[in-house]
Amino acid sequence: MSAPEPAIVLDGLSKRFRVNQRDPGLRSAIAALFRREYVEVDAVRELSFCIDAGERVGFLGPNGAGKTTTLKMLAGLLHPTGGRAQVLGHVPARREPEFLRRVALVMGQKRQLSWDLPALDTFELNRVVYEVERGTYDARLAEMRELLDIDAVVRKPVRTLSLGERMKCELVAALLHGPEVLFLDEPTIGMDVAMQLAMREFVREYNRRHGATIVLTSHYMEDVAALCDRILVIDEGRLRFDGSIDALVRRIRPLRRVSVRAAVSEALDVLDALGERVEAQVGSVAYDVHPDRVPEAVAALLALPGARDLRVRDAPLEEVMRELFSRNERLGLDEEEGG
Amino acid sequence: MPELGRNLRYVAAALRVSVLAALEYRVGFWTEAVLGVIWSLAGAAPLVVALEHRPDIAGWTPWEVVLLSGFYLIFAGAFGALIEPPLFETMNHIRRGTLDYVLLRPVDSLLACMVSAFQPWRSLEMLAGAALVVVAALRLELRPGPEQLAMLAGALACGFTALYALGVLALSLSFRAMQLQNLAFLMESSIELARWPISVFRGPLKAVFTFVIPFAVMTSYPAQALLGRLDLGAAVGALVTAAALAGLARVGWARGVKNYTSASS
Repeated sequence: MSAPEPAIVLDGLSKRFRVNQRDPGLRSAIAALFRREYVEVDAVRELSFCIDAGERVGFLGPNGAGKTTTLKMLAGLLHPTGGRAQVLGHVPARREPEFLRRVALVMGQKRQLSWDLPALDTFELNRVVYEVERGTYDARLAEMRELLDIDAVVRKPVRTLSLGERMKCELVAALLHGPEVLFLDEPTIGMDVAMQLAMREFVREYNRRHGATIVLTSHYMEDVAALCDRILVIDEGRLRFDGSIDALVRRIRPLRRVSVRAAVSEALDVLDALGERVEAQVGSVAYDVHPDRVPEAVAALLALPGARDLRVRDAPLEEVMRELFSRNERLGLDEEEGG
Repeated sequence: MPELGRNLRYVAAALRVSVLAALEYRVGFWTEAVLGVIWSLAGAAPLVVALEHRPDIAGWTPWEVVLLSGFYLIFAGAFGALIEPPLFETMNHIRRGTLDYVLLRPVDSLLACMVSAFQPWRSLEMLAGAALVVVAALRLELRPGPEQLAMLAGALACGFTALYALGVLALSLSFRAMQLQNLAFLMESSIELARWPISVFRGPLKAVFTFVIPFAVMTSYPAQALLGRLDLGAAVGALVTAAALAGLARVGWARGVKNYTSASS
């Protein structure tokens, strides 16, 4: 039996923008009226990967890495300047109605809801646009109203909603037609922690119930860690890593963090030889050590007076992300890792 | 045919949303209503002034000019109610890079943009125009036969097609030059010229207003059709002009959408 077709296939996908630029000031502004200087910017360079149906995949990368541009090409909004993309067997740039009925894009910084009207009016418009049967529409809306707890807000004008309430309604508007592929571009940006959690839970539940493919970009590492089994790191338009979060963390910060609560008061010269001390205060100590030396470190830390609560873990995600997103440091991801 | 039905349902749903948005602000709604009536009356004012001083205008008797003015109000109202609002809305979307959600809808992108906004009260002008046409036709004792009515329907269809096509061309340009709202204002001002019979213009200006920015097709030709004065050559010319403009608009739009760069988020 042959393997099922991937939901998304990219083969050397590229996007080059032509951007005008000028020096600051009136003189250059006037000069630009007559002669404009353009530069070509490679936003996406020869991206190649596949995503299977039902996968939850996160795009990670610093600002301007090409994540959103890639998403927009996959949703059919932008035309690639090179390579090939296929989503559910369609070429997105052709924007065939059959394709657009099967995908959805939610952007945290843009809205499709009519600003002056209650969200229910936009939902109804989308029902007509996507030709959703009344019964199906009612059932999906009821399901999402319950999951997202938005009964109290769907009748209020969108302009009066909080950011989190609005984003919940945006999600409903995007999902009423039951898309098989859902592109999420920074869906939780600006939200408080509780609202982020609710959004994550909802997206996970949608994926579980409907088997939809989810492609997510987010600056919140927690979003990606909680939702995505697989991540793609994109930097300067190139794919730099394809694999699990654990694999990425160990690639960037291969040292394991070993910590213990103990009555520590004197110098820890013996332990310092094992690795790099990252925390040392009265009552607790932590070291980053090479994986081969973890047993040694564990033994040494357990030997400390009053040792308890010993933990061995990867470096915290925020540290990994800081290192990953730092433009000044080499990412150490020059070779793409097989997912 | 299913495609047509789908598009019509979409147009109805989009217009419903625009009407609902207009109803959302009570003060704005009634202000627009008053302005709509003022626009309608203002549309006929220059006509009264002109006819007080002249027995006819370029061979058109007063009631024939009233008939022409009726068609002018119909087109000016259609522009104000149906074309200018989506032009501004879409130009803003293009400038801000927020056209994304419109382009994601599984309907023709041009249709989606051209029904994205609607000014219900400006359609009062269209009603006022239709009323003027009826009154003038009665005073002129016109009894149009099937052939004249067919010519009238054809001229109106060509006129609306040309008006929409000009709007779409302006919109397509805004993909390249982001701040072209003035082009829509220019269109609105230019439509004023359509209140006069095409015979008042001479030489190149007449050719321009017949074939390039075909105001003649929008107002003079429908009036001539009703008066039984529209010859077949002019009708064919109107058809070719409207078809050419529509084709050009389609190509311009397709190129514009292809070059759409969205906005980074």
